[in-house]
Amino acid sequence: MRRTLMLMVLGVLGAPALAHAAEGAASGSWVGPFAVLAAGVGMAIAAGLCGLGQGRAVASAVDAMARQPGAAARIQTAMIIGLALIESLAIYVLVVAMILLFVQPIK
Amino acid sequence: MGVIEHAPIVHLPGIPDHVTYTWLVMIILTALAFAASRNVALVPRGVQNLMEVVLEQFLTLIDDVMGPEGRRYLPLIATLGLFIFGSNLIGIVPGTTGPTANLNTTAACALIVFVAYHAIGIKKQGLGHYLKHFMGPVPALAPLMVPIELISHLARPLSLTLRLFGNMFGGHILLAIIFFLMGLDGLIGWALSGSAAGAVVGGLGGLIMIVFTVGFLYPLKLLVALLQAFIFVMLTMLYIAGAIEEAEHSEHHSPPASGHH
Repeated sequence: MRRTLMLMVLGVLGAPALAHAAEGAASGSWVGPFAVLAAGVGMAIAAGLCGLGQGRAVASAVDAMARQPGAAARIQTAMIIGLALIESLAIYVLVVAMILLFVQPIK
Repeated sequence: MGVIEHAPIVHLPGIPDHVTYTWLVMIILTALAFAASRNVALVPRGVQNLMEVVLEQFLTLIDDVMGPEGRRYLPLIATLGLFIFGSNLIGIVPGTTGPTANLNTTAACALIVFVAYHAIGIKKQGLGHYLKHFMGPVPALAPLMVPIELISHLARPLSLTLRLFGNMFGGHILLAIIFFLMGLDGLIGWALSGSAAGAVVGGLGGLIMIVFTVGFLYPLKLLVALLQAFIFVMLTMLYIAGAIEEAEHSEHHSPPASGHH
């Protein structure tokens, strides 16, 4: 019930975006508005999944540090490296989004 | 982009901005090294003390990741680390173009790392032996392993470039948008425009944005600057360690030093 409610709210909020995209498409090419949409939605998905991945990494690291406080410094180093590597996946999506928005390879 | 950005403070005609600030970082680092190495004393004081602490940290890191025989690569690693950290910091100052916020600088650093670790590996083990490691653990799997290894090795400089560039440029864009929203074209302009609603909403909003920027965004940018330099250096060390460690498996079978995986 809550999930359907949330999906309905998202659909209502998303309708103006699609209408705007359709309007842009009517006046010119389809590409510009959809590039903006792709950049926004892609970045949102990447940020969400990156958050999930980093949450798991930090949770395991904190578990391990609680289990063995003596190894805490090395676990923390490994955790920082892991977090930066997971974050770089979201950064790749950011770079693609910036290419779509600012370089606009396909007009 | 032209609406949001403005020209940097120091602009030399005919030279791209990021090159100007690269030269600034080079001058600062050279001056620091020069100041630390004049009158080298046994008990260090001042700048020499600071640089010795920095080098101690690099040496500890190298011992942890590459083992003691990695100390010969300290010049490459410490130069990359200090240059990238300095470039990141310069980019945080408003009115500058950070060298690492430009794809050219980060691609240059990544290409140096790529050429360096392959050259180190080939020099340590010989060309044939080094190339044999691309074929994987079992020779029968070679047709499968070689493309996978090639792609993963080519992905390394790409990921180094994009990671550093994306972090620095993303922070730059965020700050540019925040300044645009709260500057003379935005909230503060509205506050100064004389209307009562503008003064209240614009003033309050501008104050909140200023506190948010100074209290949260700038410390975050400082943290990201340090972290990205650390990650770049750490990955360089891991790649070099991966290139030279094969010799241990095949030739010596000696137990690895503590901390050397």
